Amino acid sequence: MPQLRFIFLLSTAVFAVFLAISTAQAHHGWAWATDEEFEITGVIRSVRLGNPHGEVTIRVDGEDWVVEVGQPWRNERVGLTREMLSEGREITVHGHRSAREGERLVKAERVVIDGQDFNLYPGRAS
Amino acid sequence: MIEPALSLIQELALVSALRNSTFMYPLVNAGHILGVAMLVGGIVPLDLRLLGLWRRYPVTMFVDVLRITSAMGLVLAIVCGLLLFATAAVDYAGSPLFQAKIALVVLGVSNALVLGKVLRRRDVENLPMMARLPFSVRVGAALSLFVWIGALILGRLLGYF
Repeated sequence: MPQLRFIFLLSTAVFAVFLAISTAQAHHGWAWATDEEFEITGVIRSVRLGNPHGEVTIRVDGEDWVVEVGQPWRNERVGLTREMLSEGREITVHGHRSAREGERLVKAERVVIDGQDFNLYPGRAS
Repeated sequence: MIEPALSLIQELALVSALRNSTFMYPLVNAGHILGVAMLVGGIVPLDLRLLGLWRRYPVTMFVDVLRITSAMGLVLAIVCGLLLFATAAVDYAGSPLFQAKIALVVLGVSNALVLGKVLRRRDVENLPMMARLPFSVRVGAALSLFVWIGALILGRLLGYF
């Protein structure tokens, strides 16, 4: 019987930890972003492409925003290359911004550079 | 001093290829998870036996089998983990979550090595089967549970912050 009690205590502790963690915002998928469509235009400052997803930092009214683009295959599929994302270029991002208050982070569904459309998520309205 | 070295690692051809790969990165990721699963999946029942659960079964059985599967899991997790680390070495090295996780892993490995010695020195194999194990062994087992589950949680949080 003391063993049962021990298992019960341990499971309770583990469950409590998971509850505490589940309040954390998920960073993959769309759960961490708002449902509202969002659009922002800025100038590209720096780029880091690659797994698990690329990050483009853009300057908007004196503030830096981070734009999450796709993982390599998603970017390649629409021809969104390192060259297209060169520094100093203007970029318009359609997507969803972070639900965390004050966080300047957007997950891109579609970006427009020099009038050229790069639709990373053709299945999603943007 | 250390940051240029980390940048250099990031730009290695192999690391760059992994960062920009379609399948290799998720596969290495899966290898890391498999390693962690084997490690924690072996450590938890082993530690619980040392803490006093399942006393009808010989402690040697748990120690001999689970120590090996856990160690294999640890090696797999480290190899795949180093590759994942290399793809964004500067970012990871600067992350307090990552630093805390590595501290826990080092603590966990040291604890496991010490615990292994204590098990041998106290001749735990030859204790009566139902006997409660020495206090030092139980402390080591409790610490091990805490440290490895903690390292797993920190590792997972890394992806979200």
